[in-house]
Amino acid sequence: MAGAGITAAAAFIVGCNNSSPAPTQTPTPTPSPTPALTDADILNFALNLEYLEAEYYLYAATGSGLSSTDAGSGAGTTIVPSTGTKVAFADKYLLQYADEIAQDELNHVRFLRSALGSAAVPRPAIDLTFFVGLATAAKIPGTFNPFSDGYSFLTGAFVFEDVGVTAYLGAAPLISNKASYLGPAAGIMGTEAYHAAEIRTIIAAGAASASPTAAQTAALTNANLISALRGTISMASGNMLAAESPVSIGSIVACDSTNAIAFARTTDQVLHIVYGGTGGAGVSMGGFFPAGLNGTIKTTTT
Amino acid sequence: MATLETQQLDDIIVKSRRKMLSLGTSALAGLVLAGVTKKADAQAAALTDADILNFALNLEYLEANFYNLAVNGVTIDKLSTPIGITGTGTQGVVVTKANFAAVPFANTTIKAYATETAIEEGKHVSFLRNALTTSAVAQPQIDLVNSFNTLAQGALGIPAFDPFANDAYFLIGAYIFEDVGVTAYHGAAGSISSPANLGYAAGILAVEAYHAGLVRTAINAADLTAEFAPTGTLTGYTQAISAFRSKLANNGPASTTTNGGLKQDDQGIDNSQMVALQGTSATYPSTTILDADNNSITFARTPQQILAIVTGNSPALASGNKGVFFPAGLNGNVS
Repeated sequence: MAGAGITAAAAFIVGCNNSSPAPTQTPTPTPSPTPALTDADILNFALNLEYLEAEYYLYAATGSGLSSTDAGSGAGTTIVPSTGTKVAFADKYLLQYADEIAQDELNHVRFLRSALGSAAVPRPAIDLTFFVGLATAAKIPGTFNPFSDGYSFLTGAFVFEDVGVTAYLGAAPLISNKASYLGPAAGIMGTEAYHAAEIRTIIAAGAASASPTAAQTAALTNANLISALRGTISMASGNMLAAESPVSIGSIVACDSTNAIAFARTTDQVLHIVYGGTGGAGVSMGGFFPAGLNGTIKTTTT
Repeated sequence: MATLETQQLDDIIVKSRRKMLSLGTSALAGLVLAGVTKKADAQAAALTDADILNFALNLEYLEANFYNLAVNGVTIDKLSTPIGITGTGTQGVVVTKANFAAVPFANTTIKAYATETAIEEGKHVSFLRNALTTSAVAQPQIDLVNSFNTLAQGALGIPAFDPFANDAYFLIGAYIFEDVGVTAYHGAAGSISSPANLGYAAGILAVEAYHAGLVRTAINAADLTAEFAPTGTLTGYTQAISAFRSKLANNGPASTTTNGGLKQDDQGIDNSQMVALQGTSATYPSTTILDADNNSITFARTPQQILAIVTGNSPALASGNKGVFFPAGLNGNVS
């Protein structure tokens, strides 16, 4: 991917558990002063992320994406690798995990669309070939394709799940109607954390097994290459979280090292991540969302 | 793994499946207190953030001691870097079996999981104590012997269970706690007033969910390899425990009709599930690493429902809400 240098993919920052400060000290950008966000704005922001996750897992599990009904009227196109997306899982348990998570993310899309009713935004244009640029910047050898096999699929999933946790955690306190929406948002965040732990556990345990396969070893190496890249750039940017420690069987949870509390990200931080890492204000598209998110929360302000 | 232990585990799950089929309201009568829901509603209205954080602190004392005993063989106040246990209310000891020793882990991966979780749960205790400052409650009396035996009798139909006996039993012991922690923080989040406290509670919720995902994935992996017991044994065990937790939290089968239309608010690991994904017929083989409702949203429980699980809500005690893991009850206003 042209231009996908270190700056581009570097902002794929997931939580970390080594040297981060306490939550009260975590550097966060100044939030956008105007306009005030409505609950619908926040839920639609979450819906965009769920569209992305659902598309990734559905394509991996079934070879096709969201139905036109689930994508909504006026939905954008999802770009996928020409070599196909249905992963040929060699291990049945990995297939089961992929199917379960795909159904969960689909359920989240449906739940949020239902909760938003006519205010729900349709699926924006999504580019699932962006993994190539990400992997190149992370110095993953060869041409990375998350749909090529079960362990590459896990590495691809690693990119998303912790981001989902931090996005919901950052957005939860912004919700006004706590009685109606805080509970579901917290519960979806909980689910994303289950997923994140599941993915990280499989990756770490596979590589730590008595006789790991080349694919198992590569999955952990590649996940931590992505992790290291995120850390490098985060240290160079006051707008990003601190460096994360590598995933291993003794370091599964993504949380701050002082208090063991998961990280929160502002909407700006999440936007920078899914747009591919171009820093600063005014970024409104790129990376996994070539035409930007749909809805009010679309353009970075910091 | 000794053949004897394998046989014991197998025996446990056979009995538990049989037990679950025959469990009626009467079988649970000794552990369920009527009027739980009304009490929860009445109490929820008056709770301060400190009340809720102290409620969470009681649960973190329980988890932190369980994991640190499993890994280090000592309670949190006896670690090389001790964690504080003093505070308001009645301070209690942790009851363990005689001649207690850490879990003799045979699997280095499972030991690594346990070690990480012990550290993180200890940090949750310290964090909440620091956040609450002088209003932090003391560690209440915690029972890690009779509690597991009681649950084993109720959920599995066996007389005793020692989660410190081996790797597999440890995982099952951890299973008992982690999903409960998720539902407790989820249920309490909506009652928190301060945005900062909400952020902390949600952040701990996420870590508990990581732990739950970790232990469920680890149990599933151990079950698949049959390293400790025949395939199906450990996952069957989780199903029995989840069903029992749900019954305790919902005052028996009669009222377990909430949460996305499910009959219960908990689910164990089940590798025989099928999901629909594309279309309407469920044709894709799936599992249930996630413990959530039909919208794939994790369950929430009120503080009173959590009390019912961790104390057994024995009606034999006039004051209620004492027993099982907390023989003298919890410290603080949610007790």
